[in-house]
Amino acid sequence: MSDQHSGTADGTDTSAATASGTEASDTDTASADAATAGAASQPLLRVEDLQKSYGDETVLRGISFDLDKRDVEVIIGPSGSGKSTMLRCVNRLTEFQGGAIYLDGESVMAMNDNDLRRRVGMVFQDINLFAHLTALQNVTLGLRKVRGMGKEAAREKAMDQLDRVGLASQADSYPAELSGGQKQRVGIARALAMDPELLLFDEPTSALDPELVGEVLEVMRDLAEGGMTMLVVTHEMGFARRAASSLMFLDEGRIVERGPPEQLFDDPEHDRTAEFLQRLTTISEEV
Amino acid sequence: MVLSLASPPALDAVDWVALAQFESGDWAFVREQLPYLARGFVVTLLLTLTSIVLGFLAGFPMGAIEVYGRGPLRSFVYGAGVVLRAIPIVVILVFMFFVAPIPLPGGQFAFDVPRVGSVSFGRSAFLAATVGLGLRSAAYQAQIFRGALQSVSGGQMEAARSVGMSRLQGIRHVVLPQALRRSIPGFQNEFTIVLKDTSIAFAIGLTELFARADNLFTQRTTATLELFLFISLVYFIMTFVTNRSLDYLGDYYAIPGGDR
Ligand SMILES: Nc1ncnc2c1ncn2[C@@H]1O[C@H](COP(=O)(O)OP(=O)(O)O)[C@@H](O)[C@H]1O
Ligand SMILES: [Mg+2]
Repeated sequence: MSDQHSGTADGTDTSAATASGTEASDTDTASADAATAGAASQPLLRVEDLQKSYGDETVLRGISFDLDKRDVEVIIGPSGSGKSTMLRCVNRLTEFQGGAIYLDGESVMAMNDNDLRRRVGMVFQDINLFAHLTALQNVTLGLRKVRGMGKEAAREKAMDQLDRVGLASQADSYPAELSGGQKQRVGIARALAMDPELLLFDEPTSALDPELVGEVLEVMRDLAEGGMTMLVVTHEMGFARRAASSLMFLDEGRIVERGPPEQLFDDPEHDRTAEFLQRLTTISEEV
Repeated sequence: MVLSLASPPALDAVDWVALAQFESGDWAFVREQLPYLARGFVVTLLLTLTSIVLGFLAGFPMGAIEVYGRGPLRSFVYGAGVVLRAIPIVVILVFMFFVAPIPLPGGQFAFDVPRVGSVSFGRSAFLAATVGLGLRSAAYQAQIFRGALQSVSGGQMEAARSVGMSRLQGIRHVVLPQALRRSIPGFQNEFTIVLKDTSIAFAIGLTELFARADNLFTQRTTATLELFLFISLVYFIMTFVTNRSLDYLGDYYAIPGGDR
């Protein structure tokens, strides 16, 4: 599975690496990597010693990892461990105090935040659809106001996205008329419409009734298989096993362990990882 | 049962048929004076509109500043609101008419009716009342909008930002349309309060509906009940009609399926 993954990445990464090669020259780690491993190796996302605190409460204590194009990283960890905060640092919904984050070799701190967010989509736990707009309008709003698309073009593109999440028939429904699962799928379509290079998911199924979780995970699996680069906070271990290229266990603002999902499930290096995964599985079996 | 034996004398005195025909003595007086009262009605209506509009134009930004502003501007707006809401409206009106008018260049005072050639019309109670009622309404409308803006979940703003919209775009396209809808019930209330409080402009000599009824009553003291019943009815109809219209507006813009 990982072979096939790096194989497909080769072809697509070349152009990106050369395109951003000049911009990356000020960050010696990124250019060094590119030099050693050839054209294909620039990670889409590089997080370097990320540190973040709220007041005097330190939330992230030095997080570093790379994410290649088409990778799906699943992040797990106890409540309050900093998972949401980490995602929100990536698209700068919150500012961080230490370290650096690079998108395609370019420091996110150097980017206009609106431009950054156009390139990095986000799907929220509490969905946050625009309540006064139809499903279609939820998707077109960004296209019209951010991308400056015309009404008809935006509509067409939005319909394609709704179709992708299986909701074309609900285009004219308002959020209050949709089920939780349908709402979250509109949320995904809204993010997809901006053609993001990276999609962030913050516990996208945690607020849903259990019987609605499946339809959302299915859409996410399709995206993963279609080559979307994703950073997913979720405790749906079935999804992690099937779709993740890598699994990360976060605790108290640090990465405790990171590796292929099979490795963390079957042969974790740390007791804490084993314990946490054990608890997750028993809970989901009890439910 | 015991009470009904002695029916109140006041009720006995009302001739309902004559009343309905507007014809018994004091009712006939009200009818004769309809044109005089009608001019008061027009003043009341205009004053309500000018005050509400001024209140909206000032109150809407004030509410937005209380939510999104910071620094001295926000403190000023907040402070002005507190003061305006703390003072009785009659005091505000008297202040506007007798104290606030400052000399303007050209020998006139604020709230004076513009001079035509050398003819001076003196101070306009209507202008002073508009400013007084309008500013106080602004202070209340600001609270309506503030609450409505804050009631739109912060998550929707984050979602707007997450697709690359600026803060201003998020406010304009996501928060405002919902906040305006949620302001309608509060605004409805405020509208009726301003409408009824125009009668207090009587204190600065503005001859609106109530002042005219009061003038008539001093001419014919037996017509008190008739006069005040009549203008109460007029106020009632005005409030009723505006409330219904705003209900209709609220229904028209209601979000299908509910709010959240
Ligand atoms: N806006 C905020 N202000 C202050 N503290 C916050 C804020 N957001 C999160 N925190 C704190 O940061 C820590 C990590 O939160 P979060 O990233 O939401 O954790 P997780 O998503 O893993 O549950 C928690 O202790 C939380 O209380
Ligand atoms: Mg969280």
